[in-house]
Amino acid sequence: MRYLVLALAVWLGTFVSAQAQTVQDILQVHADEIAKPSRRSVSVALDDLVASGLPQVPVFLEQWSARNVWQRDDGQFFIGDADGDDLALTDIDTGAASFALKSEFTQIRPNGGVRRVIGTALVQFQLSDPDLGRRETAVASIARRPEAAQLAPLLASIEGEPDAALKARKVQLANFLSARFADDPADRIAAINSLSSDTSVEARSVLNQILTTEPGVSASEPEGNIARVLDPMIDPDGFYAQLVEAELAPSRTPPDVIRAALEANVVEGRVGDVPVAQLGTDQMREAAYAQLADAGLVASLVTVSDRDAAIAAHVFFETYDEADPTITAAAEAALASVEQRVAFAQAADLALDGLSLASIYFLAAIGLAITFGVMGVINMAHGEFIMMGAYTGYVVQLFIPDYTLSIIVALPLAFAITFGAGVSMERLVIRHLYHRPLETLLATFGISIALQQLAKNIFGTQARPLTSPGWLDGAWVISDVIQISYIRIAIFILALLFLALILYVLKRTRLGLEVRAVTQNPGMAASMGINPDRINMLTFGLGSGIAGIAGVAIGLYAKVTSEMGTDYIVQSFMTVVVGGVGNVWGTLLGASMIGFLQKGIEWLNPSNTLAAQTYMILFIILFIQFRPKGIIALKGRAAAD
Amino acid sequence: MQNTFIARNPSVLWFLAALGLFTAIVTLMSEATGVGLISTSFVKTLGKTLCLCLIAIAMDVVWGYCGILSLGHFAFFGIGGYAIGMWLMYARTEAIVVPNLMAQTIPPTPQEISDAIGNQIFGVVGSSEFPMIWGFADSLFLQLLMVVLVPGLLALVFGWLAFRSRVTGVYLSILTQAMTLALALYLFQNDSGLRGNNGLSGLQNIPGFEDTPQATISIVFFLASAFALAAGYVFFAWIVSGKMGSVVKGIRDNEARVRFLGYHVESYKLFIFTITAIVAGIAGALYYPQAGIINPGEIAPIASIYLAVWVAIGGRGRLYGAVIGAAFVSLLSSWFTGGGAPPINLGFYTIQWTDWWLVLLGVSFVAVTLFFPKGIGGLFDYLVRKQP
Repeated sequence: MRYLVLALAVWLGTFVSAQAQTVQDILQVHADEIAKPSRRSVSVALDDLVASGLPQVPVFLEQWSARNVWQRDDGQFFIGDADGDDLALTDIDTGAASFALKSEFTQIRPNGGVRRVIGTALVQFQLSDPDLGRRETAVASIARRPEAAQLAPLLASIEGEPDAALKARKVQLANFLSARFADDPADRIAAINSLSSDTSVEARSVLNQILTTEPGVSASEPEGNIARVLDPMIDPDGFYAQLVEAELAPSRTPPDVIRAALEANVVEGRVGDVPVAQLGTDQMREAAYAQLADAGLVASLVTVSDRDAAIAAHVFFETYDEADPTITAAAEAALASVEQRVAFAQAADLALDGLSLASIYFLAAIGLAITFGVMGVINMAHGEFIMMGAYTGYVVQLFIPDYTLSIIVALPLAFAITFGAGVSMERLVIRHLYHRPLETLLATFGISIALQQLAKNIFGTQARPLTSPGWLDGAWVISDVIQISYIRIAIFILALLFLALILYVLKRTRLGLEVRAVTQNPGMAASMGINPDRINMLTFGLGSGIAGIAGVAIGLYAKVTSEMGTDYIVQSFMTVVVGGVGNVWGTLLGASMIGFLQKGIEWLNPSNTLAAQTYMILFIILFIQFRPKGIIALKGRAAAD
Repeated sequence: MQNTFIARNPSVLWFLAALGLFTAIVTLMSEATGVGLISTSFVKTLGKTLCLCLIAIAMDVVWGYCGILSLGHFAFFGIGGYAIGMWLMYARTEAIVVPNLMAQTIPPTPQEISDAIGNQIFGVVGSSEFPMIWGFADSLFLQLLMVVLVPGLLALVFGWLAFRSRVTGVYLSILTQAMTLALALYLFQNDSGLRGNNGLSGLQNIPGFEDTPQATISIVFFLASAFALAAGYVFFAWIVSGKMGSVVKGIRDNEARVRFLGYHVESYKLFIFTITAIVAGIAGALYYPQAGIINPGEIAPIASIYLAVWVAIGGRGRLYGAVIGAAFVSLLSSWFTGGGAPPINLGFYTIQWTDWWLVLLGVSFVAVTLFFPKGIGGLFDYLVRKQP
């Protein structure tokens, strides 16, 4: 019997102790912190809840965070769902449902700060949640707001992660976290070193956060993990302001304060013994102010030499927030290596940008180069042919709503229309002006302003969209630094296609042979039975047609307006002039040079694209001095004029 | 000498007589004399037109006589305008700001005056410091010198570089166009020191003459423009009619042959290019006080092309042709775009001239180039020669 009683007592005891480990019990221990939670006090309760390892804890935390936890008048906590005056209750531990009157309960309303703390505690449960979406959300929330406490649960969850991609992401994130928060310095340095080849924005921000510094000033040798000691003479006023802020020196008296003090102390037309009329120089003002200071009316003046003496008496430095110098040194080294890689990547990105700009210029200029080379005629209306091509694309899209199909229709149609326009312009105007090249320039300019105004009258002044097909949206992202939009890749491919096509036409067809003959010597070509008139007409049409296609391509990424031609015409001229007339390769070289140059100058001075264009044009003007006939100049008689 | 010069250029006398008559009529009819048949704003338009005629003559000399199709002469015009505009703006702001500062208890320091003026002028581009190029803005004499020197020097350097490496023909045209584009783009920046695309404004208010009515000021500028045009006409007529004129025309017709004859072609071209740039600068300095505002848009490449259009329509190679072309086209243009021309109703469509004027101009320009290469001036020649 005694044994029985003892056994019962033991059994009961275990039962009671097991009972003590319900969520409700833990909550009762911390009832005050739970009922009126604050960001500081709530963490004790959370630690106990998490440490209990009970399966109901994450559910409770979620409901708590969602403000669904209610406290009964007797202090017991329930998960509740308010419905009018009634409250559908769920027991926190057993899940048993019941109903009660709402008036007996108080809702627990944790504020935003508390909910964030709860969220952090929840993350470790979510990291091992069976649902992939929830795990991803948890990982993303860690990435957004990394904290030291998340490192351990994150590391623990890596082992059991079934999804390969998420596992890799977790490993990466754990690496970032341990670089910043790991307890053992050796672990941190290892993590930091592993970041030295990671050019992602995230890794760089991790390193930068390790390396955050605070400015400091002291009269003696500085202490702590010093990042660098600064030379105050580069900006004496700024450093003196720092001294003033640290209350190590009296503040300086700016001119307007001096002025105000003088104005306030004018006595019978004098300040001190200086007549007001003489206060028109800084020197006299300071002298008068010094008298006021001597009389004790104002605080004394801090002169430049006072300022310099004060600066010289102090050491200005920056300290790392991180106390361990080995870690900051490792991070500095890692960051330097990362930045070198980033610089390479940026150079590659810049080269891609330059390449895409070059292909645009090539498309815009190649038509011009052909007509100029063959006929010695500058077509100022070339830009308007680009515009006509772009508007053709726009009109086609009005009739064909499918963007892919409309582009496929628009490209040949734009070619046909501008080919026609070019041929008729050649027949009607240019043919009569072959002996007067400068006048061709003016006549084609007349056509250009007429066409521009016509387009304005027909399509209005506002920009029209030329929408690219969906598969050209977005960009090809190679890394955080290197990316290029698909439209630009498409334009690059288009430019390559046209390069090949034009080379084929010029080098492999009868027409090309005749065109080259006329380019070199029209008179001789004519006597060989080639009809220069026909060749001129066809070349002009071809050049104009390519401008039309370039217009569709340019319209895809820039707005279609009646003035878009003028944006490209000068660059096209430059391309032709720099590259050399009458040579496809010359145009290619010219376009590449101008494209890369423009991007390069923009990179040197990113805030100011206008200045970039100015410098580029100046460069071209100088370039022409040294190679007046362009990079690839025609030789022999054809080069005469 | 004078006698022979006039004898060689009978058109000079005719031109001076016509200009004098025109000036006298406009002055008498203006509001300044109390008659008021011609409004002040129209006097300003006429004065501006005279300045455009002056730069058109310069363009005619460089293109019609020397064969250099410069598409950048409006840059020099704009520089002249900016140079005088800097003084006008500085002096006027000073006249407003300084009395304010003087009225305070304590006299201002030079630094305070400069800050206050700078703040007034450069506040729109978020700065109050005077850039280097404003160093002479307080002196009318030095700024007037700038009107001549800056365009002259720019043309000298640019022309020397271009002519030295034998850049000719279409290449040179494109290069001059690039120059004016580069200048315009540079001025468009806010940190160019010339107020970015705001430009300089309030130039119609002449410092020191705040109490003089605009009617009088406009007539003074009109007369000054007329005088400058007359002087420019005589000067250029003298240049192109002497021995030098013959060489210059020779260069236009066959540069290689003139070089073979032993002339240093580059020097002649450089002289013509520079002297016309200086005249363009003077024309600009007279134009913008009448216009009241100058901004970088004024020197965009299109402006210089219009200049070539005027000269071509007026008739190249004859100075009066340039004057006729500039006056005719620019006045016609402001008549059409100003809504002066009545719209034409075609029943199915109404032609609004504000929309269609540029189309008309473009097409007529093509027509002139194709069918009347001598322009309106050519018509003149035809009529004069027909008379016994």
